[in-house]
Amino acid sequence: MTGRIYKALGVALVLYSLVYGLLTSIPDLPIIEQSIRNLFYHVSMWFAMVGMMAGSFGNAVGFLRGENLSKDRRSESLAETGMLFAFLGLFTGMMWAKFTWGAWWTNDPKLNGSAITILIYLAYFVLRNGIEEPRKKARISAVYNIFAFVMMIVFIGILPRMTDSLHPGNGGNPGFNSYDLDNRLRMIFYPAVIGWILVGTWIASLRYRIKNLSQS
Amino acid sequence: MFVVTLFQSNSRMAKIGPLIQRFAQQELRNSNAIFSLGLYLVGITYLIYLLGGQNASDSTWNTLLWIVVFFGAINQASRSFEFESGDYFYYYQTIAGPKTTIIAKLIYNSLYMLLLSAAAWALFSLFYGNSVYNPGVFAFGLVLGCVGLSAILTLANGISERSGGNATLSSILAIPLTLPVLKIVSAINIQAMVGAPLEEVYELVGSLFALDIAIGLLAYLLFPYLWQD
Repeated sequence: MTGRIYKALGVALVLYSLVYGLLTSIPDLPIIEQSIRNLFYHVSMWFAMVGMMAGSFGNAVGFLRGENLSKDRRSESLAETGMLFAFLGLFTGMMWAKFTWGAWWTNDPKLNGSAITILIYLAYFVLRNGIEEPRKKARISAVYNIFAFVMMIVFIGILPRMTDSLHPGNGGNPGFNSYDLDNRLRMIFYPAVIGWILVGTWIASLRYRIKNLSQS
Repeated sequence: MFVVTLFQSNSRMAKIGPLIQRFAQQELRNSNAIFSLGLYLVGITYLIYLLGGQNASDSTWNTLLWIVVFFGAINQASRSFEFESGDYFYYYQTIAGPKTTIIAKLIYNSLYMLLLSAAAWALFSLFYGNSVYNPGVFAFGLVLGCVGLSAILTLANGISERSGGNATLSSILAIPLTLPVLKIVSAINIQAMVGAPLEEVYELVGSLFALDIAIGLLAYLLFPYLWQD
């Protein structure tokens, strides 16, 4: 029953954010203007990705503590779902950048961070594919997963704060930051983040069940 | 003699010294490896010189230096666990255990990389002139960068060694992970090249130091799990 509740809640919140993200009134800001609505569709992807990767990290730690192989399958499923959100975040961001900055890709610390994150997790999947024995595969990839997650947090969470970014709210650009943050945006942004994390959990749980079936 | 010292000492710290000595001996016996690394350094530096490296701007000079150091480090690290494969694995497992081995390995690899980057800096100064105005800050950044970089490479190499992978796998695993360290250290180095005093780079140095501690701690905590069979 609880399973149904979180799925229904996730779908409802995502639908709400998709529809009201287009309908809501927005603050009148130069340059970014209507494209500020991408906050609901693009930024929530990155929050969902970090949520999935954190879950994957937690399960990797759990595996090393108890050597329970189901934790390893959970960890892998969550990392795969996180990659899905990473690619969605990348594409929504590139579309937005083309119309706001005039280029698909710029040398921005946040863009570099996301590119590196994708490389790190692709390397994680390459590593997994290279090992046959399941217990050894689980242990070695859990070690890499833990290390990779910490480095990812450093790269996307700490480095961008040390250099100026083109992103809204950074380096004097108008946007969603402490002084012009808008309650109307928050009312849609936070539900969108929670909704996508719930939907992501659902996707990951489906992948986990498929892995369980193919295992037995 | 080596084995006797290790068995007699009970505390972990007392075992680290002999282990580092052992790693250095292995390296010296295999002098071909050191020779090829030196040849790589001289060869690549001269190649860059021929291609016009002496006219490089500050940021290009710094980038080239780190690329040379980086590939030297990858080369060195890819041999890092070759003595621990096969029967040597059980040997170290028995006499030292994983935690002692990783501490010794981290210290040894950091020192090795420090020598490597000092040699690269010397060669660069010889061929292209030393364009660093504040060598103290530059060297400080180099030390912190080498420690972080070699810790990442050591763990990545341990992973690829234990998974039976090849040298390419360890590069694939290590390259994205090393970027935060390289990014911060090159920021410090560029500041040092234009002559900024230490006070101006406190924030960068502090964050690099914290990052090094975090990487070293993670390597220390995670390595024992790699070393189960």
